Amino acid sequence: MLTPVVTQISVNAATLLLAAEEGAEEGGGGITSSPIWPSGSEMFWGILSFTALYLLVRFVLLPPVQRIRNDRAATIQADKDAAALARSKVASASAEVEDQLAGVRAEAQAVIDEARGEAEAERQRLVGRAEREVNAMRELATTEIATEREEALASLRPQVADLAVGAASRVTGRSMQSSTVRSKVDEYLTNPSNSN
Amino acid sequence: MLGLEYPPIENLVEWPNYFGDGQIWALNKIGIISLLALIIPTVMFLVSKKELVPGGLQNIVEGVVEFIEEQVIMPAIGAQGLKYLPLLLTMFLFIFFGNLFEVIPTFHMPANARMANPLFLALLSLVVYVSIGFKEHGFAFLKDTAWPGFVPVGLRPLVGLIELLTVFVLRPFALAVRLFANMLAGHILLVTFGVLCISVFTAGIIVILLPLTFGMLVLLTAFEIFVSFLQAFVFALLTAVFIDSSLNPAH
Amino acid sequence: MSVLTSIAYQVAEVAQESFTADEAKQVSGAAGAGMAYGLAAIGPGIGIGYLVGQAVQAMARQPESAGTVRTNMFLGIAFTEALALIGFVVFILLKFA
Repeated sequence: MLTPVVTQISVNAATLLLAAEEGAEEGGGGITSSPIWPSGSEMFWGILSFTALYLLVRFVLLPPVQRIRNDRAATIQADKDAAALARSKVASASAEVEDQLAGVRAEAQAVIDEARGEAEAERQRLVGRAEREVNAMRELATTEIATEREEALASLRPQVADLAVGAASRVTGRSMQSSTVRSKVDEYLTNPSNSN
Repeated sequence: MLGLEYPPIENLVEWPNYFGDGQIWALNKIGIISLLALIIPTVMFLVSKKELVPGGLQNIVEGVVEFIEEQVIMPAIGAQGLKYLPLLLTMFLFIFFGNLFEVIPTFHMPANARMANPLFLALLSLVVYVSIGFKEHGFAFLKDTAWPGFVPVGLRPLVGLIELLTVFVLRPFALAVRLFANMLAGHILLVTFGVLCISVFTAGIIVILLPLTFGMLVLLTAFEIFVSFLQAFVFALLTAVFIDSSLNPAH
Repeated sequence: MSVLTSIAYQVAEVAQESFTADEAKQVSGAAGAGMAYGLAAIGPGIGIGYLVGQAVQAMARQPESAGTVRTNMFLGIAFTEALALIGFVVFILLKFA
């Protein structure tokens, strides 16, 4: 199976070689018409163009582009530095503001505390005075009530005694000695708990 | 089935000369694109304003410069590679605009789909990184490459041979072939779908398939713009990596 | 693989039998070109898939190093892709040279 294939391939190659030789003999240079082989004139223009482009890029075209790129990089760097500087300035200024604010705040707190203390003292004073006044008024009222009660009792006592004597004489049907009874009633009224 | 008539590849990549047949200065479409790849970046750089606050075109110009600095030089070499900015920027711009004409109407041909420009750029890259190696390390650069000190003595001839082959042949070869083949493949892909669109358009009832083929063509065009950028980026990045390996050959 | 080989086999047979040398070169070149590019695309396809997958995983695990990973990913893709592109160049050489 393999042998005829190999033979055939070698025959094939031999045919190819033979044909190529014949072609070369006939055409006198089939290689120049090959699509692989470089053509001299095309290479000439290629070399010319490339060399010209290289020289232009090297000396004319690239330097301004690189210069502007370096300028831009420098500008950006300078701007960045300026921004960093401004940022640090802002930071220090804001720290200062913070400090000042803290001082002001403490001061305000102190003022507030002081005012609060004063107000508290004033309140204590006012409340104390009011309490004292109220107490005084209360005591006054209590004594007044007590004297009133005493007076009422004192004024009521003879009437009660008379009423009691009247009622008793009516019940008993005879007149009673008013003075003895009156002293008994007075005693009862004065001390009602231990005479019963 | 569709009677797809595919043009011979010579018609896709080889263009008639405008003048100077047989001379070295014969100018064809590839030469025009090379010149445009010189003129367009120059005009862009010259026209763009140079202001502290960029806008419009200046954004693009500075973005390209910054892209090369930040995405190519810094990861591959580091800060010591910033002096190679003009070279890498030129490579990027030249390759990118050469590639971009793949999708620009009336051109529709990437300059790098011909071997001339990729080969020249790859050889230039070789010359640059080898000369940097010699400049930085003198003859020790060649000695370290051919007789590497970091492998056992018995292996040194083999590894040295591989290293020599890599540095002086494979790297530039791979650079050139990568750029060339990517752009040629993209070009052929676009041509294929363009031809397919025309064939479908003229093939009777099959024209109902046209939205599919045309949509694919549009998608591929967008993809090729991406590839144009990517190949320019990769070329500059690989050159930077090779320069770095010449500057610091301490594997 | 075997299908491709048999196609090339048959094509070469046909080419040997009835075509002129020029046509034989064209036909066998076209068949060989297709095989060359098809085979050359396998390895890089797997390689790039693995590479990008791992890069995406790395980016997902460490989003802060996504930039470095992306740069290295493109580098890796560029190296891996070179193989496929060499296959493509061989394709062009076989087909058109």
